[in-house]
Amino acid sequence: MKAWTRLAASILAAVTGLLVTLGGAAAHGPDPLVGSGRWTQDQVLTFKWRSGSVPTSAIQTAIKGAAAAATATRGSQAASYVYDAAGQNLIGYGTGATCGVNGLGCFTRTPPSSFTMWLREQGHVYDWGTLKWCQAYASPPSGCYDAENIALDEFGHIEILDHHVNWSDESDYEDAVVQTLSRTYPYAGWNRHAFGPCDVATLQMEYEVRTWAAKYSTCLALVTTLGLTLGASHSATGGTVTMTATLKVADVSSYVRLALNPLPGRIVTLQRRDRGTLPWTTVGTMSAGATAGTYARSVVVNGSTNFRAVFDTPTDEGLRGVISRIVTIVVD
Amino acid sequence: MTVNPIPCRPAKPILAIVLVLVLVGCGASAGSLGASTGAPATPSGSSSVGPAASDEPVASVAPSTMPTVEPSASPAAEASRAQPPRASIAVDGGDPVEGQLGSYSWFGQGSDAPWLDGRPIHIGAGERLTLTLADPVAVVNWTASRVQPGNRDGFGAVGMGQGSGSPVAFDAPPPGSWSVGVTVWFGGNRGSAAYYWLVEVR
Repeated sequence: MKAWTRLAASILAAVTGLLVTLGGAAAHGPDPLVGSGRWTQDQVLTFKWRSGSVPTSAIQTAIKGAAAAATATRGSQAASYVYDAAGQNLIGYGTGATCGVNGLGCFTRTPPSSFTMWLREQGHVYDWGTLKWCQAYASPPSGCYDAENIALDEFGHIEILDHHVNWSDESDYEDAVVQTLSRTYPYAGWNRHAFGPCDVATLQMEYEVRTWAAKYSTCLALVTTLGLTLGASHSATGGTVTMTATLKVADVSSYVRLALNPLPGRIVTLQRRDRGTLPWTTVGTMSAGATAGTYARSVVVNGSTNFRAVFDTPTDEGLRGVISRIVTIVVD
Repeated sequence: MTVNPIPCRPAKPILAIVLVLVLVGCGASAGSLGASTGAPATPSGSSSVGPAASDEPVASVAPSTMPTVEPSASPAAEASRAQPPRASIAVDGGDPVEGQLGSYSWFGQGSDAPWLDGRPIHIGAGERLTLTLADPVAVVNWTASRVQPGNRDGFGAVGMGQGSGSPVAFDAPPPGSWSVGVTVWFGGNRGSAAYYWLVEVR
């Protein structure tokens, strides 16, 4: 590679990393972080009811539902939550809540050892009004809060998530559950019971994806790299050459744990053109290679040929498409 | 579907430089328009595995701690760990009015609250409001918006300003009575806080 090419590549990588960071900082990126400590990957956090502050049956059901939702939708190796009568962490409900004076619910987190959560009691009177939990009614009244949604927000904080930074028009509100403002019935998002893509994005970066083939949150737009190597650079006419492509997440520091992850299970296509001509034609999809994130395809060559591998930007996950460098097989 | 349009071999060095400059320009816009490109501005952490090191991700043995910049350990900083800093707004030459604290997260604890009407402040139309924190804490992001007093969800809020870093400043809303909320995200992963004022605009 010529010096200027290497320089340009270095600048491009630096700029890409900068854009990634700026994109997250401006608005609508992965949730920010609250605190600097993480739980162990896949740590099971058991909880029980705080003595003397046991939630009502309906609120217990809501909190257990939120714990299950947090566990099921974390999309990463973040901590999971399980109710256990002998649990290590306390969740309370009622007048003993240590929340801020205007708080509906609150949390403390001290990873990797413990957390607490509180929800205020139904009917609590604030300066701003009276608390109504939707679970306390057969039919939710206007202005009630869904306890499961609020508890899921608190579980998100406990993981490591801070409030999402929304667009100024809040059009992306439902991309995250961990919000500065939780909505009341009947406004959109009032009863969301799953982490949103921007919650999951941060959990993936901080705790890693569950498998290499798992989908990356659509709140991300991770730069990828695609290498292409030849089994042989020369061939006789009619010879068969095997191409191997390697697809990875780029080495960008702000990707935290996701940097350099191999990307198996994606669609990588091989393209060719006669050496020195312009149009590329698709040879076909490359098969899974010997190791995670590699793809292989054998081709017959009858003349000197250029090849490249292509990974198109997927619509269902947060990866950017990429084209490999061009490699050439010379037919002797 | 599209593919990355970046060519593998720029024809000339100058083209590569132009490409980078164009990308910077595009990126500055994309950061506030298109799909997210981003991640929180966390310093590098170690990847738990290298490329193709194994068939599946490997769990760390011990919990890790992000190498973020920790706040000062001075007595004043320690004392402020109980709650986010107080915040006031004022117009040029006016008396500052402290905001009412709503939702916040701060040093491993937090509380979630509705939109509050806020403390009253009287200003003139066309004036500019500037927010000041009582403690010297860095601001990484902020948003300001307004609703009719009594709105607890913030649903339908009208944006008044949004930015990265200081100063946190925005123009007064139109004449009338408005509940104005300003949410601030603090540096060093300290957390965030929402503050409210009942702004009476003459």
